[in-house]
Amino acid sequence: MAVTVELTYAMGKVLGVDRFEVENASTAADIIAETKKRFGAKGDEFEKLTRVATIAVNGVLVSYRKGKSTRLSDGDVVSFVKAAAGG
Amino acid sequence: MWQCVAMIKGYAGRTLEVDLAARTFVFKPLDEEIARLYIGGKGYGTRLLYDRTEAGIDPLGPENPLIFATGPLNGSVAPQSNRFAVVCKSPLTGGIGNAACGGSYAYGMKRAGIDVLVVLNRSETPVRLDIDGDNDTVEFIDASDLWGKGTYETQEILGKKKHHAVIGPAGENLVLYAGIVSNERIAGRTGVGAVMGSKKLKAVTVRGKRKLEMDDPEAFKEYTKWVREMFKEHPVLGESLKRFGTAGIVGTTQARNIIPTKNFQRGNFDQALKVSGEYMEDHELVGVKSSCIHCPVTCGRDVELEGVGRVKGPEYETVALMGPNLEIGDLKKVAEWNYLADDMGMDTISLGAVLSFTMELEERGMLESGIHFGDPAGVSELIKDVAHRSGLGDDLADGVMRMSRKYGGGEFAMHVKGLELSAYDPRGSFAQGVEYATTNRGGCHVQGASMYLESVGPLTINPQNLKLKAEIPVAQQNLASAINSMVLCIFTTYGMIPKQIHDLRPDSFAHKALSFALENSGPLFLKAMQMKGKPMLWWEKWLTYITGTPLSGGHLQEIGGRVFNLERMYNLREGVDASTDTLPPRMLNESTFKGMESGHPLDQLLPRYYRNRGWDENGVPTAQTLERLQVAV
Repeated sequence: MAVTVELTYAMGKVLGVDRFEVENASTAADIIAETKKRFGAKGDEFEKLTRVATIAVNGVLVSYRKGKSTRLSDGDVVSFVKAAAGG
Repeated sequence: MWQCVAMIKGYAGRTLEVDLAARTFVFKPLDEEIARLYIGGKGYGTRLLYDRTEAGIDPLGPENPLIFATGPLNGSVAPQSNRFAVVCKSPLTGGIGNAACGGSYAYGMKRAGIDVLVVLNRSETPVRLDIDGDNDTVEFIDASDLWGKGTYETQEILGKKKHHAVIGPAGENLVLYAGIVSNERIAGRTGVGAVMGSKKLKAVTVRGKRKLEMDDPEAFKEYTKWVREMFKEHPVLGESLKRFGTAGIVGTTQARNIIPTKNFQRGNFDQALKVSGEYMEDHELVGVKSSCIHCPVTCGRDVELEGVGRVKGPEYETVALMGPNLEIGDLKKVAEWNYLADDMGMDTISLGAVLSFTMELEERGMLESGIHFGDPAGVSELIKDVAHRSGLGDDLADGVMRMSRKYGGGEFAMHVKGLELSAYDPRGSFAQGVEYATTNRGGCHVQGASMYLESVGPLTINPQNLKLKAEIPVAQQNLASAINSMVLCIFTTYGMIPKQIHDLRPDSFAHKALSFALENSGPLFLKAMQMKGKPMLWWEKWLTYITGTPLSGGHLQEIGGRVFNLERMYNLREGVDASTDTLPPRMLNESTFKGMESGHPLDQLLPRYYRNRGWDENGVPTAQTLERLQVAV
């Protein structure tokens, strides 16, 4: 099973990529753990940024489901979201 | 010289009416009753339009007045307060037309001692107006030498130190979504620039040295100092808008699956971050001079364009509708098209939607346009053709609704009431969908901005259930109508959610509790918004210090509701009725979310919205509603 991870711009600057694929992650929490593991020292900085972001699966915030324990399916897009205002 | 007699403070106390056919002008006293009921700006202008025109006029005929209206906050140094409203019958929708614009023209109007300028009839030849408010004169100057010139060159020739409102070739050629430009800002929506072009009016210049009279200038000054400090610390007004401009929201709408992609076929584009405000800051930003006068937020971006120099950079709507919506991930290209559209004097929201509609027609083999999703080739040339109504550009100049009548594709023609949709996909933002469907000028996001409360701001509720989705739009549309009548920048409302709430961790108990309370507030939400008390928020206090009349949030909900219902009555009079309170078929029938079987559930929300508004089942304001709000029709 593979899911696509989309990062915020700030996270992307830290890790040097803005989207990548993760295999065998079954929850949103697994994504954070796997990303942290994959990027070594940069992963710690990434984890800090996740604390001020929410997570969406296919555009829907996990807070409306089971939080970081929300189950993932093959082909899902997991995004990190920050509050913003535009016009 | 005209002397203002005891008026409500904050107003210049006079209007100016100009007859372009007779080449005459007259200053008249401001109608205090209209000012008390409708404040100014959009509200005052709508009242004049309703009262002074017959039903069924030709929007591009001489009988359509073009009304430039300011409000009591304009001319002050209050942050985000130098905007003017333009009101007329829309040539794009056939209903109420209005647009607001920053820049410096509103400031100039108030310095010239003019609250409202009404332009009547039309000139036979190109003309411009030079209004000297200190000597009470209006010169009608031949503008043949300026006709055909872009908005930037026109303003350059007229002189940078004066305050202008001008049109470009798009307005001259009656492109139905042409706008009116002041400095580097545009009154973009509903085709107000085409109405100006139909009058052969190239530019209006205002000047004067009059000062704004306030009821309590000391209190205003002290309080404004506090507001400026508060803005500096605010995460949106002092941080994200300042650093990234409005395009700082790209990553959020992308993550929420609501950024228009490929003519709204999707809500996610894999190159979206390459056109984001953060990317702009890192790679393109050279300054913020293009921001509005006296505004500490400075959301305007300056970028460098090869062969042109330093120009205003694109904001979110342009970035989204000319970037992901066309499957373009090249910020330089978007900046180039944005500059072209501004110089030609065109609304980039409508233009972006027209281009994506054309690309989808091309993809489906319904039109040979030569432009394709994901390919910038031919787009710049087509934009120029639109502005000059040349070749295929002549069709594109009529907007998506009319194009779909000619070429088909109504199911993917992204407009409401003829006005092209803004860049928040309502399938992931249900309240915003109700707002699009019911906003009097058509599918627009800044006549309410419901998406901020439900899907992009710091206190998001679930934007895909029915809770509060027929209540948020009512409160937000009323608030925006009041804001557009003062005339303030709608972005000031982003400050309503204080820093302390922004600072809450999204997974904290307090954050979850606040979101839960908001989502489940039900009918209490509207009741709370409508409570009249003391002025609390900055715009309420500014109005109070300037005019001397205490106005609270509840009072402004009432005034905004009055403006909104008058607009509705205008639309009904012009035949723009409840059948137009809908969304494009793609939004209703096609899902962009996994597990979601259809699109936006508008049919389940609209009846409740009508009830909240005090309208009958046909979407007509009841007699009691009109009486309660003192809407004379």
